Amino acid sequence: MNTATPKTIPEYLEQLRYELRSADPALLQDALYDAEEYLRSELAENPGTDEATLLATIATSYGAPEEVAAIYRDTEVRVAKALSPPPPKARRSPLGQFFGVAADSRAWAALFYMLLSLATGIVYFTVVTTGLSLSFGLAVLIIGIPFAILFVGIVRLLSLVEGRLVEVMLGERMPRRPLYAERGLPLLTRIGRMFTDPRTWSAMLYMVLMLPLGIAYFTIAVTGLSASLALIYGSLAMGLHLLGLDVFSVHWYVDTPAAWEVPVAMVLGVVGLFVTLHVARLVGRGHGLLAKHLLVKSA
Amino acid sequence: MNDTEPHLKKFQKELSAGTVSLVLLAVLGQSKEALYGYQIAKRLEQTGDPLLVGKQSALYPVLRNLSAAGLAESHVEPSVTGPPRRYYRITELGRQALSEWAQTWRTTRHSVDSVLEGNLR
Repeated sequence: MNTATPKTIPEYLEQLRYELRSADPALLQDALYDAEEYLRSELAENPGTDEATLLATIATSYGAPEEVAAIYRDTEVRVAKALSPPPPKARRSPLGQFFGVAADSRAWAALFYMLLSLATGIVYFTVVTTGLSLSFGLAVLIIGIPFAILFVGIVRLLSLVEGRLVEVMLGERMPRRPLYAERGLPLLTRIGRMFTDPRTWSAMLYMVLMLPLGIAYFTIAVTGLSASLALIYGSLAMGLHLLGLDVFSVHWYVDTPAAWEVPVAMVLGVVGLFVTLHVARLVGRGHGLLAKHLLVKSA
Repeated sequence: MNDTEPHLKKFQKELSAGTVSLVLLAVLGQSKEALYGYQIAKRLEQTGDPLLVGKQSALYPVLRNLSAAGLAESHVEPSVTGPPRRYYRITELGRQALSEWAQTWRTTRHSVDSVLEGNLR
């Protein structure tokens, strides 16, 4: 790679892309987007200057591509660490590790994501199947082409939205900017790029997968939560009933549980609740990785 | 280029690490309207301090992280000259953080000055 001063904005971005080739793809996408915003604004502020002269001065203000790459690699790690709330203290004992999950906000967020994923899964699946079948069905008509383009655009927008959801709730770093097509290119080429971009198709696959995954996640979360909460409630109610305090006005329709079953149910319920949280955290991590592979373009 | 140059560079880098967040938040706090990255960079350029301005690309990740931490909020608006711009505005939480940070900054500056002037015994 030649490190000559770039002459045009696309050249500059290409060098930046090269410098960040081993970095997190989401970080690369943000870096490219930021640089493009700055460079285009600078160009618009100085209408008289040509791109080459402008880019020569950029090295001292915005930074040369290799400097910018170094800054992004550095700042990302440092600032993210400084501004994020401190992670809960790692607990040593196995018991502490097991119950410590309740203090981990990631586990709760992941649990909520599992509940939400049924709804988002249905939306994504419906959009993709409807869009795909209508695109093929209308292909013989003149409106088929604009429809297909619109559909692909919607898929790319939704994949960005899902990326934000995944980053906020599962903590997996995802792009915060849309991929910005090279401005110099004619509209038709840019539309063509949307179709040749493998990320468009992998995002579609992800959206189709979200329905079965969402159903599974939702089922696991609801089953885990309701079973353990019911056990906790039941044992509380029965315990108080045995003490003569019928505060929940319990009626045992099936069978009155024996007294020894009360503490067992309580333990099972509490353990079950924490197991559910552990499962949620695991699912969150796994799903974050899946989303990253399918939604983020590797440079 | 002399012997102390790398040390100076390292010191400047470490010093700017914390102050950039404070300065960016202050710029957002003083501005009535939402600002986008390039505008903020140009405002800081007016101070003329090479330490604060540094390489302006360093501001963008900090802005993004301020927004992720809930100290600033952002929205995207299309622009005629380039890609859609992300505009930042300070949040209520950001204002509280800013006044605390400013207090911390003043205390630190005061103690550093007094050490440098040899007022300690």
